[in-house]
Amino acid sequence: MRKLALIAVLLLLAVKVPDADTLVGPPKGQPLAGDELTRTTQEVASTIRCPVCQGLSIADSPAEMAQNMRAQVRELLSRGYTRDQISSYFERSYGQFVLLKPKFQGVSSLVWTLPIFALILGVVIVFMKMKSLEQPPSGNQQPATGNSETDPYLARVRELVEGEQK
Amino acid sequence: MNRTVLTIGLVIAGALCAVFYLALGKDPSAIDSPLIGKAAPDFALKAVGTGETIDLAKYRGKPVVVNFWATWCHPCWDEHPTLTAVSQTYGDNVQFLGVVFQDDETKITNFLRERGWTYPTLVDQRGKTAIAYGVGGVPETFFLNRQGKIVAKYVGPITPDELRTDVAKAMAE
Repeated sequence: MRKLALIAVLLLLAVKVPDADTLVGPPKGQPLAGDELTRTTQEVASTIRCPVCQGLSIADSPAEMAQNMRAQVRELLSRGYTRDQISSYFERSYGQFVLLKPKFQGVSSLVWTLPIFALILGVVIVFMKMKSLEQPPSGNQQPATGNSETDPYLARVRELVEGEQK
Repeated sequence: MNRTVLTIGLVIAGALCAVFYLALGKDPSAIDSPLIGKAAPDFALKAVGTGETIDLAKYRGKPVVVNFWATWCHPCWDEHPTLTAVSQTYGDNVQFLGVVFQDDETKITNFLRERGWTYPTLVDQRGKTAIAYGVGGVPETFFLNRQGKIVAKYVGPITPDELRTDVAKAMAE
């Protein structure tokens, strides 16, 4: 039995998977454990996109890939990796696509700036529209001033009324 | 005023049309790999059948093709004959490695026994190697040059021509 256990351990030791140490450097934070580890794992996992799902985070997805990635997040937090290091770890392999909250850099910055720009543009358009409505209409659309002496239409009406009275 | 609104509307509609046009014919699940041009993450995994540990580092100096697949993936069945046949044409000049993830070792053994194999198939426990390579689904194939740098990635079942083209890239650098 002991021999079998020893063989199993040796086999596990022989297997080497790509480690975060070589990819994003040594841990920069404190190792987490217990409830804090569970809570932080959930928080970090909710910011990472499941690559095999449609718009789901690895915290919400039941896919095996997401479960593996979640386990990876938990392991990295328990080893003292910070949130930023974990994001970088996944971003290194999958690119910014894997981050549900894109970083403010390059083309991704448009995600943050465009809505603000659109909002400002909308406010400016509404303001200009309101201002134009407040101004009195000009030109041909101006209503009659009530100058009955010069208005040819009123003069004609007056003429007809007077004609009838005679 | 109306002309300004119309212009802004046209600009926005034009930009949207351009985005949709550029996305046409693109597989939304195919993620551009940021690993292209970077060193391939190292791994040493157990080979199916022999139990031998295969270390990627030992193939430095030789182009390597790393194919991620699984027995539950039907497109992987389609590309299996291509990979086995093309790998034979390169002999010892190019090392092919299969990495199976999210799978059962018995199923892998049965699959290989039925369909044959010409290069080592490794088991990726808990998908850690797949995650380090940014695998979003199977099959995905990575092409490493002699220095161990990733020069190309192919998503989906690969054809013989596409396979040879990417192997040529790995051999050229």
